[in-house]
Order: sequence, then C-alpha cells, then structure tokens
Amino acid sequence: MIGYALKELRKRNRKYLLNILVIGLVVVLLITLNSLGIAFKEASRLPFENIHSSIIVQRNGNVPENTSGAVTPCSLAPIKSEYLSQINKIDGVKGMSYGLFLWVFDKDSFKRTLGVNWNDDRGKIIGSELIEGSLPQSDTDALAEREYAQQHGLKLDQKVKVSGTDFTISGIVETSGKDVVSSDVYVNLSSAQSLAYNSKNLQDTEKFNRNDINIIFVDADQTKVKEVTDNLKALFSSPTSNGGKTPTGQTTGAYSIYTPESFESQISSLFLMSDRLILTVSLVALIGAVLIVIKSMSHTLMERRKEFGIMKAVGFRSKDIQREVAAETLLQAIIGYSLGVAMSLVAIFALAKTTVSIAIPWEMSPYPHFLTSNPNLIAPVQTYPFPIKFEAVYSAEVLIAVFALSLLTVLVLMRYINGLNAMEVLRYE
Amino acid sequence: MNEIIIARNLSKTLGNVKAVSSVSLDVKKGEFLAIQGSSGSGKTTLLSLLSGLDKTDSGEIKFVGEDITSMNEDDLALFRRKNVGIVFQYYNLIPTLNVLENIALPLFPESSSKEEMFEKATHAAESVGLAHRLNHYPNELSGGEQQRVAIARALINEPKVIFADEPTGNLDTETGRMIVDLLKSLNKEKGLTIVMVTHDDGLAKEADKLIKIKDGVVTNE
Repeated sequence: MIGYALKELRKRNRKYLLNILVIGLVVVLLITLNSLGIAFKEASRLPFENIHSSIIVQRNGNVPENTSGAVTPCSLAPIKSEYLSQINKIDGVKGMSYGLFLWVFDKDSFKRTLGVNWNDDRGKIIGSELIEGSLPQSDTDALAEREYAQQHGLKLDQKVKVSGTDFTISGIVETSGKDVVSSDVYVNLSSAQSLAYNSKNLQDTEKFNRNDINIIFVDADQTKVKEVTDNLKALFSSPTSNGGKTPTGQTTGAYSIYTPESFESQISSLFLMSDRLILTVSLVALIGAVLIVIKSMSHTLMERRKEFGIMKAVGFRSKDIQREVAAETLLQAIIGYSLGVAMSLVAIFALAKTTVSIAIPWEMSPYPHFLTSNPNLIAPVQTYPFPIKFEAVYSAEVLIAVFALSLLTVLVLMRYINGLNAMEVLRYE
Repeated sequence: MNEIIIARNLSKTLGNVKAVSSVSLDVKKGEFLAIQGSSGSGKTTLLSLLSGLDKTDSGEIKFVGEDITSMNEDDLALFRRKNVGIVFQYYNLIPTLNVLENIALPLFPESSSKEEMFEKATHAAESVGLAHRLNHYPNELSGGEQQRVAIARALINEPKVIFADEPTGNLDTETGRMIVDLLKSLNKEKGLTIVMVTHDDGLAKEADKLIKIKDGVVTNE
C-alpha cells in the first residue's frame, strides 16, 4: 500500500504539491509563531537576567526642591530596611540584594552614586565588571565607571569628591549598558547611607533613616515568580501617599514592583503576541489548511473515480481503497511537515542572528532630564541577541495535530469512497 | 460438465430501462460461453450481474453453489477477487502503474509479500506474451498489449471464471483475433471457464455455446 501511495505521489506530483505546500506553510507558521512568542517572553527577562534577579522593588517619592548635594530620584524614594527580613520570609525567594542609589549634585559635576553591599549577588556582579584596581576596602574608597572616569580624567588612587566627602578611586568598572541601574560612582552601602543621612536637601525632600535603602533586587524561584510578586504587592500595599504624582505620573509614596512582564511593553508591538492571539492565528491556519486539503483531495478523488472503480472491480473493498487514500494523505502530511520543519529551522536560524532592543524605563535607570544632552541616558536602550530557538516539544505537538487533521481529512473522504459503485463508474466513464 | 454458474430469473432496471428481464442461464465448468447482442441489448448488464460487479433487482445467482445475490458490496468485492477475472472493452488499466503493477493490482490488498506478488504477476505476464514489457506504462503500449495486460490481471488470482466484455471491441481485426485466440487457448489448455460478451457474429461463433439477447431478454439458448 505504501509503495502504491508513494508511486501515486510521484506520478501525480503536481496535484499533491499544493497540499504538501499548504501543510508545510501551516507548519512553518505554527512553529515560527510559537517560537517568536516564547522568544519575546524570554527577551523581556533579559534585563533581569543580567542582574540575576526576577523582581525589583522601588518606591516613588517627591521631587527635590533644588539640585544640590545628595538626593534620591523621585522613582527611588527611601525604603525602610525592616522590609528586608520580611521579604526573606516569602516562600519562593531564593536571594536578595539591595542598594542605595543617589543623585549627587556637586559643584564640579553630577554623579550617579550607588551604595553597594559587595557581599550580595548585586555587589558581586558589579565587582565582576572590575577592569582595573580593586573593590573598595574602606568607607572612603569608591569605584568609578569607565566612561565617567574617562570623561573626568579620573585614575586609580585619585580623589573624587562626592557630596562634600572625599573618596579614593580604588578601581574602575565597566557597567555602562550592561545593567538596568548603572551608576557613575560605586561606594560601600554604609558610605552612601551616610551621604544620604547627612544631606539636608534629601532630608528636606524625604525622611531618610540611617539604614534606609531605595532599591531591592529579589531573586525568586522561576516557577514562583508570580506568587512572590503577589506577596510583595501585598507587603507593599500600604503606601504612605500624600496624594501627589511624580513627574512620570507615578503615585507618590506608592511602591513599584517590576517583573519581566514590565518589559514586554518595551518590546516592539509587532511581536507583542499574546498566547490567545497565537492560538487564534494557529487555529485559523489549521482550519484553513484542512479545508484546502479536503477540497484538493476531493477534487483529486473525483478525477480518480475510474481508477477506484477499476480497483473495486478487481476486488478492492471500500476499506482497502480507504487505506490507500489514508496512506497517500499521511504521506503528504509527513512530507509537508518535514518541509515545514526544515523551513522553520531556516527561519529560526535567520531570526536568531537578529537582535532585540529593550528600552529600560526611566524609573529603573533614572537620570536627570535637565542634565543630559544624550537622550539615550534618559531611556537607555539595551540590545540583546534575539533568544529564539527551535521548540522541539511544540514541533512534536504540531506533528500530532497534522496527523490528527490528516485522519480527519481521510474520514471526510471515506464517505465518498464508500458510495462509489464500480459498475456505475465504469459504465459511464 | 458441472454448472459453475446457475442464474435464475435475473432482472435489472437502469433508470427507466429494463436492461435485463427474467433471464435464466447456466454456465458449465470449462465452458466458453458467448453472449451476443446488439448495442443496448443488455448483454453488458447481464455480464456485470453474473460476475458480481452489479446487484440484481430480482432473481438468484449461484456461483459454485454460493448465492452471490445476497452479498453486500464488500463481500462481493472479496468474491470477485477470489473467483473471477474481468476483461473490459477499454482495458481499464491504471495509468500510474506499470505493466507488472497493473497485473498485480488485485493482489495489492492481500498480505502476500511484494516478491511473491510480483513473481505471480511476472508469470501471468509471461502467459500472455508480455514478459518483455513489464516496466512499461499503459500509454507506452498498443491496444492489443493493453488488452493482454488486462487478461493477465484477470488471470493473476487463478479465477474460476473469466468474464470478457467486448474484449476486441476497441481493437483492429487482426489484434482482436489474437486476443480471442488467447482466450480460447486459456479455455482449452487451462480449462478456464470463459463468459464473453460480443456483438460480433464471427467472434460469437468461436464459443462452445452462444446465448443471444435482445432488449434484456434471452432469445435463444
């Protein structure tokens, strides 16, 4: 039977080519769409992968009255350190890092300054970007970011003044463009807390306690990100709001909890396909393919009426012919599927050579609008290799769907074969 | 000789036309029977009833003692596969299959091995003088060769009866003669029972027995 079916496909290749192409195109559509959907979800996690976190907690605050000394940006208002122990208790939290990010308006220059706990994951990541010198050994040591150091001629062991306090450059790090919260100067967390605590401008804007921080990076179990996020939202659900709004429209006093989903809106809308949209497009494509294949096969069967009449005359039962037609249909499905998988691999290989750009929201990488001539600093764009890959499990599911729909096609065609009378066909053909 | 087919009171209406009307006949084992009639006389319809290709409206056909008129479509197909070979006027070969495959066609639904199937087909092709054309396709053969392929196909299951419907109707006189000689030799040498439908007086006379039919009614026996 298979030999006969193969011969039919070879001899009538033009008639079956349409079916094979339709099946192939639907397979490409299904596999590529699904891979794109998964890839863009993966892409939205990339900014978080770089910081080894799944969730970032911040709090919205007030805009400083003036630009002098150390202040906290309005998206990074102080958070009480007592919250840290409560976060640690949430089921699904694997680890946690935190820091204090400051804007420092000194007379010589503006400096983004990040207070870092060098022993936590966040500190270790920054430390791994050290290209010269060593990590701060005391509260008067600091790391300078490479670009900032170049712009201001800073070298190792030189002094840099941050909010009136002298720091010695103990090392140079290269973090620009690699991080959602990149800074110009990195100091010990306790040093940053002292700068903040002693800043009159900051104390006038926000009440700052000596141990406060203003950014928390939570590393959650990947399978429990949603549950952890929900728990964090519950923990931080009571903002001490004064009813005001930040310049970017956030409610003052309210907490912002960023997850990979926060970046999905940053990705081009062309690729923002929800699971439901992918499912709808896939279903429409599948139904369309089934209708085209059924119509095409019906047409071919009509043309082969005489052939089936001869087969019945020489002793084929209806089920023998059905088996033959089923073998031909399944062979077309296998060839079409193989063609589709091959085309999908080529498409995915080509897409994997592209990149995806993600604009980091200003709130997560704040820079004063009034200080920059470089608009990229306000909404820095990070570019990553597009993380698309061939989804083998999904491809197997598509194969099952193609087989199931081929069998459906055969079932529809069976009625025609059953109703065929050999003598009637041979009498009139 | 024993009766291989006993048909009684066969009737068949096609549309509004009574194609076969109360026909009764016997076919004996090893007999070469010709059914002769003009175009539209009902001879092809009678042949299709006797061979199990079509079902009667009324009457009874016993084939080696088995009543085939009560069989359903699938049982009739199996019956044809095991007991009869049919040769058509227009050969009715499958254009996408070569000679060997066309001859082997009735064996396709069987579970026999491919080697065994093609060995039988080769043997059948040899018996009709087509051993040198096995890999050719129908459109590469002459009319006479195509009809010989059809005869070989009819022989492959070692049938009890071969039904031939105007087997020379689409051939020139000389080729037609060769086909009738082939059928006669199968009848004489292998003892095959042959029922042949023809409108040709000359061919009809070649048979052991002649039945004439007109307007669906047997006019002599």
